Amino acid sequence: MSSETLGKCQDVAALCPAGSVEWLQAIGHDFLEGKREGACVYDEAGRRYIDGVCGAGVFNLGRRYPELVRALDQAMRDTDQGNFPMISEEKALLGQALAQFVPGALECSMFSVMRGEAMDFACKVARGFTGRTELLTVDGGCYGQTGFALSLSERVDKEAFGPLIPDVRIMPFGDVDAAKAAIGERTAAVLLEPLQVENHCRAAASAYLQELGARCRACGALLVLDETQTNFGRTGLRFAFEESGVEPDVLVLGEALGGGLFPIAATLITQRVNTFMNAHPMIHLSTFGGSDVGCCVALKALEIFAREQPWQNAAARGQTLHEGIEELRGKGGTPIRGVAGKGLVWSLDLGSPEAAQAFCRSAARHGLLVVPGQVARHTVVLRPSLLVTEAEAMEILDALRAAATDHGETS
Amino acid sequence: MNKALEQGGRTAPAEKRRIEEIFGRHINRGQMKYLKAGHLDVFETDRSGRGFTDPVSGRRFFDCFTSAGCFNVSRHNPVVMQALEEALKSWDLGSYHLASVPKLALARKLAALAPGDLEGVLFAAGGGDAVDCALKLARGATGRAEILSTVKAYHGHTGFALSANGKEHYRHCFEPLMPGFSFVPFNDLEAIREKASKDTAAIILEPVQGEAGIFPATDEYLRGLRALCDELGIVLIFDEIQTGFGRTGKLFASEHSGVVPDVMTVAKSLGGGLYPNAAVVYRKTPVLAEFVNRNPGFHTSYGGGSDLGCQVSLRLLEYIEEKRLWENAAAMGRVLQEALSGIQHENPKIVRAVRGLGLMVGIEYCHEFMGPMMADALAKHGVFAAYSGNAPQVMRFMMPITVTAAEMDAIIQAIHGSVRDMKTLLPLALTAVKVPGVLKLLNSERVQTVLFGAVRRIEDVTAFLSKKGEGG
Repeated sequence: MSSETLGKCQDVAALCPAGSVEWLQAIGHDFLEGKREGACVYDEAGRRYIDGVCGAGVFNLGRRYPELVRALDQAMRDTDQGNFPMISEEKALLGQALAQFVPGALECSMFSVMRGEAMDFACKVARGFTGRTELLTVDGGCYGQTGFALSLSERVDKEAFGPLIPDVRIMPFGDVDAAKAAIGERTAAVLLEPLQVENHCRAAASAYLQELGARCRACGALLVLDETQTNFGRTGLRFAFEESGVEPDVLVLGEALGGGLFPIAATLITQRVNTFMNAHPMIHLSTFGGSDVGCCVALKALEIFAREQPWQNAAARGQTLHEGIEELRGKGGTPIRGVAGKGLVWSLDLGSPEAAQAFCRSAARHGLLVVPGQVARHTVVLRPSLLVTEAEAMEILDALRAAATDHGETS
Repeated sequence: MNKALEQGGRTAPAEKRRIEEIFGRHINRGQMKYLKAGHLDVFETDRSGRGFTDPVSGRRFFDCFTSAGCFNVSRHNPVVMQALEEALKSWDLGSYHLASVPKLALARKLAALAPGDLEGVLFAAGGGDAVDCALKLARGATGRAEILSTVKAYHGHTGFALSANGKEHYRHCFEPLMPGFSFVPFNDLEAIREKASKDTAAIILEPVQGEAGIFPATDEYLRGLRALCDELGIVLIFDEIQTGFGRTGKLFASEHSGVVPDVMTVAKSLGGGLYPNAAVVYRKTPVLAEFVNRNPGFHTSYGGGSDLGCQVSLRLLEYIEEKRLWENAAAMGRVLQEALSGIQHENPKIVRAVRGLGLMVGIEYCHEFMGPMMADALAKHGVFAAYSGNAPQVMRFMMPITVTAAEMDAIIQAIHGSVRDMKTLLPLALTAVKVPGVLKLLNSERVQTVLFGAVRRIEDVTAFLSKKGEGG
């Protein structure tokens, strides 16, 4: 059965201009996403793929986790979006559950509808709380599309969007001396991802995070960690930063919070930082952010995360994948020049953006959806459902092997 | 123990306090104090039709705030519910980068309904995200940096949107924001002509300024902006996040003037009050189309344009179209505005102005402190209406556009009753404001929070004592 490709589809023009279709064709994803279940998605013609994209870390529990589907079905009857300024039991209970779920003293939540907004709030609360303006980040970051998040991110097209948020400075990643020199009395916050998924899974060393934390404390700056792509078990731990033992003042959580059924994200802050928001209520608003329906879904997702502990499966299946990829590379003749990652997020170095796209195309042909890294465009990121089975992990390896072989033959 | 409260509702006051304690500890304590000052600290249960029930008092409220225009088609509209219920049988958020039947269908529908040749669609997750997307599109496509926004404008809280917000209140704690943004007085064509140039990437405005206190743009102003943008190659952006989908008596507010912008942002009611969704709709002018074509992933949205959201939005738009709900908004808006004008005429010391378009109506009181007082009085009459935190003298009425004539009549009666109630308190306040400094004090948000909170406690004690007297 052949799938209907997007290029031949009627009436795609409103949403997908030619450039968009071309890009999807380049990575072999030019089909309509249809049925989805567990670790897999299907195109409209019924062809099955393993979802190795997971919405950039949204579908940690796989697609349509049945209990979560039921939770949304119930929540839409019990409640609705609610008036955004209002106190609600749903918001209160999700705030409480998050405080219990995350490590350390991150007791307070600001809800957002998506990751960029959650990051923008992190930047704003850091400035508001400290009364300082400097936002320090590291090179290679990828935080989202909105104004503050974009200002901190490394992007090839960043300059196209004109002058962005001022007083943002970028430090060389992992350089302790540079960080010590840069973080000072002017610094509102140091913001980074513990694992730069889009940048060939570059991990911040525990010692580096510790140093950043210590220097921030000494200078009165806040340490902000963006776990949008690593939260809820992706790296084999509940949160990636737990490995380092560092205690962030602000933690940004992505749409994985809504389990792939409802768009909701959150910024967690300490009671100390929340004194600013208590003194300035209603200064940062989100119409969709604290949706009571979304809160119900997220509450259920947290319950499932706590019960399933998908980080354990991520660690175990991740090992299978890592060993399989290394074995594949060991045999030689593959285009994969390097591999980096943790748990169930792996980045393959293909050498060039073109080779990365070609690899994605081949992988799709062999039933695996993966996309290039957004920062390191010569890489391909693999991040399946955290509940992937051993059999599915083997399927992923088969697809990678076949894609590597294709690539070897054509190049 | 206040037995009337216990019997009237399903949530005991003690239970409410328990939830408030959790909310205060894990969300925001300041927000609770703020809401309590205006009697807005009610929980919303039985969300249906044009309102909700306070589970403590059992009192039914007309929702005249609708989360700033999210519940255009009522709370828990069965059509919207059914759309989500059905979508939930097969869909989820969907992969952010893949096309799907629901996404393409909604994009086609938006392109078909949007005015003129607005026919390209980019999805976003919320209003701020949509505005950020629109401003990135304008800067990216034109290669220019300058953005002209309007004084008192409200566009959202994300980085670009906040930079375009024309109110210090939302900005001052977070500056410096993006360079290149400047602000011109709303409805002043001369002022904007002076500022606009070939360095201007975009002019962004709300066709009816909402949060600023309901100021509709004049047709001449919008036509003048269109001509100015055409002359200088500027991208004209209409933020229809609050005004869209029937709110102002037309499907989109821009239809009143017939001016078609280059870019239009929509959000809020697009989600049907149930499931978040937002979009940027743009004209495929060479400069805009080429930019999107060359940079298809320039504003990826992970939570917006979801398959579930698109199914809900699509059914919602079909429903609004089938019922021609904008016509009801226009008719009911006229009734409300006439009634409010009458109240203004009778109470010139309380109401300074009434403004609006369709069911986006504002009352401006003579003093800032009257906003919270009136919210309080209205709450007692079963009307939930919000005053703006940074312009508390203006109260917005944005009830569902499905409101019936009988309901509108009841709302108007409640407003009459509230004004009468306020008049009994007013001689005291108006005498006090003649004392130097008192007006400033009364108008201070913090003083209001404390003062109205205290007044409320006194009222509660009085109510408690009188009930006790009756019971004993």
